[in-house]
Amino acid sequence: MPGRLEIDKQLIRKAQQGDSNAFGDLYESHAPAIFRYLYIHLDSQMDAEDLTGEVFLKAWQSLPKYTERGVPFLAFLFRIARNVLVDHYRQNNRLESKDPEDMDGFTAEGISEPVDIVGSQIEHQHILRKLHRLRSDYQSVLTLRFISELSPEETAQVMNRSVGAIRVLQHRALAALRDELDETG
Amino acid sequence: MKQDKMKIERQIDQIINENVTAIASGEETLDSILAEYPQIAPELRPRLEAVIWLQQAKLSVATRPGFIHDSRKYLEAKIESTHPSGFWQNLTRRYTPQRWVFNIAAPIIVFLLFALMINSAVITARLSIPGDPFYSTKLMIEDLQLALTFNPVEKTNLHIQQSRERSLEFIELVMEGKYEQLPVAATRMESDIIASLHVLNEITESDPAILAPSVESFRDTLSSEIFMLNVLKGSSPIAAHPGINLAIQVAQSGMLALR
Repeated sequence: MPGRLEIDKQLIRKAQQGDSNAFGDLYESHAPAIFRYLYIHLDSQMDAEDLTGEVFLKAWQSLPKYTERGVPFLAFLFRIARNVLVDHYRQNNRLESKDPEDMDGFTAEGISEPVDIVGSQIEHQHILRKLHRLRSDYQSVLTLRFISELSPEETAQVMNRSVGAIRVLQHRALAALRDELDETG
Repeated sequence: MKQDKMKIERQIDQIINENVTAIASGEETLDSILAEYPQIAPELRPRLEAVIWLQQAKLSVATRPGFIHDSRKYLEAKIESTHPSGFWQNLTRRYTPQRWVFNIAAPIIVFLLFALMINSAVITARLSIPGDPFYSTKLMIEDLQLALTFNPVEKTNLHIQQSRERSLEFIELVMEGKYEQLPVAATRMESDIIASLHVLNEITESDPAILAPSVESFRDTLSSEIFMLNVLKGSSPIAAHPGINLAIQVAQSGMLALR
């Protein structure tokens, strides 16, 4: 049975030949990780959903130029996601609000009670506040490794660093996060 | 000292990598992992606590139910609409059975509609009489038929058939009161009769044996034309008579030449 990487390679080849269904399979595999990466940086679930679609649309447009020997597909997607986030910040001309009262009131499917929605949003804002107090490279390594569940090798490729450097960065970032949790409670 | 620190860092990293999935699934707890590594517990504990906090944070940023499935459909539709793909790509891509049926049925339906349109145009042309918009098409089809017929006997039969067609057109013109078209129709009838006589003459020179049936058929056609035109003359207004007389003369001349 072929592994994830091999399946990805086959799907990429088909997608490069114009098979939108194969690209849909790639989307289904990687969209949750991309979404989590985006949502941890944004305070609106709807924005994160829109940007997830934008990332994959840009990936599709860049697919003819993509080569397997270069950056692995997941790292390729995360680089696009990072650029999309930067563009989003620029367009909004501000960093995302961290005030729970500044929410957009989007009704998430599967969460029917308003109290649950508010609870979920407050929890999300609480997480954002904690992470945003960390250095940006600490935020990146923790988000990629533990929120988007990338391997150390994949994280190294996305962040353009060696695996050893990622290990050291992760070690320090985890300690910094724990200190932050202690300080803010 | 620095080497020891690096060694501990590497060990903690390894412990975290090995246990992160087990922590997420609840198979391992903070205490169970710390119990395995008491010598590095002070260094390991805060990092594991941070990992556990991140695991909980991960759950709060998960996609809403149904989002991936729905957005995949939307993305595929958007890709389809924005990406121009080639003919072969269109043929080889994965389609739903309905799409396959549509892809096969659409060209067949277009072809049948086209054939039906051509057929209707041909039938309309064949039924047309002088003065109708499709009459020139009818004459063109007849010329094409003649040009594509190389056997002299068949060519003679085709000329005789066309001569019969002209007399029928003539009758129809009289019935519809289009008397101004009668002289032209009579001239066209004459041309067809002359053409038939020419071909018969050619057959007489090359192969007289096969001449008799064609001559017989032509004679029958001309005599029935003369008969019909005389009947028509008796039942039509005087205004039509000059045109009908001309046609009768043409048919009689043809009969005379045939003798």
